[in-house]
Amino acid sequence: VTGVQTTRGAIKAKKVGIVVAGRSSQVAAMAGMRLPIESHVLQAFVTEGLKPCHRPCRHLRHGAFLHQPVRQGRAGLRRRSRFLRLLRRARQPAHGRACDGGGHDADADDRQGAVLRSWGGIMDMSPDGSPIIDRTHIDGLYLNCGWCYGGFKAVPGSGFCFAHLMATDRPHEAATRYRLDRFATGRGLMDEEGTGSQHNLH
Amino acid sequence: MRIPAPSAGRATSASSPTRARELSRPPGPEADWSEAWDDYLHNRDNPAGDVRELWQHTGGCGAWLVVTRDTVTHEVLEVSSHGRPSMRA
Repeated sequence: VTGVQTTRGAIKAKKVGIVVAGRSSQVAAMAGMRLPIESHVLQAFVTEGLKPCHRPCRHLRHGAFLHQPVRQGRAGLRRRSRFLRLLRRARQPAHGRACDGGGHDADADDRQGAVLRSWGGIMDMSPDGSPIIDRTHIDGLYLNCGWCYGGFKAVPGSGFCFAHLMATDRPHEAATRYRLDRFATGRGLMDEEGTGSQHNLH
Repeated sequence: MRIPAPSAGRATSASSPTRARELSRPPGPEADWSEAWDDYLHNRDNPAGDVRELWQHTGGCGAWLVVTRDTVTHEVLEVSSHGRPSMRA
């Protein structure tokens, strides 16, 4: 690696790190790499406070609602649907579908829960559901990706470990297992759900 | 998102939640682990743009469809049948 070509000109660098959640495959492709990543959308919906009415998790035909306590006792309504994950862009019909689906399958109480806010974003999913922080086969090119839907809260630690790797060329003690080659070798897979190291399972 | 299903007897049908990237299996037995099998199982082009995928009309006729889709705009560009309907639909 000799640098990065940007819209404002070239930036020379001996070391380049790819940390572009949602677009990892596209940027890696600029270096001729194919990553073990599939991108999907996750959408989340938060209702007004309904916590006492909810069972913690309810499985629906098209996915699952997870009711999680969030800020100030509000009930979080998170929907990770296999259908929604196919869509790269948040859309109004998906929002309506999630609400309809919840109301249809859930108790009458659930139907009264007004959705306060919703959001969505592209997730770079790895085969085993765990991230990758590693060197690549290209000299000076480093990779931090595959955080699936857990990356936001991990950003400080992820950045620290990635900086350590780039500065010292050795993985940080906490991130030695986030190897890019674990899928090819089958060694050290981090499949915390026990569902298998395969796309579409996490 | 709605995908027109040619074998369902209707102009449009509700899209199915079952799909997979259209990939070609590497030659040779599965027991012989190789770079080709690793590439087949794990690595993806994963473009932001046109992709060819297999979708199954699970809520209806069970047909497997080869769908060409733009992942950025959701536009369905082409749909064709792929094999016979699965009994497990």
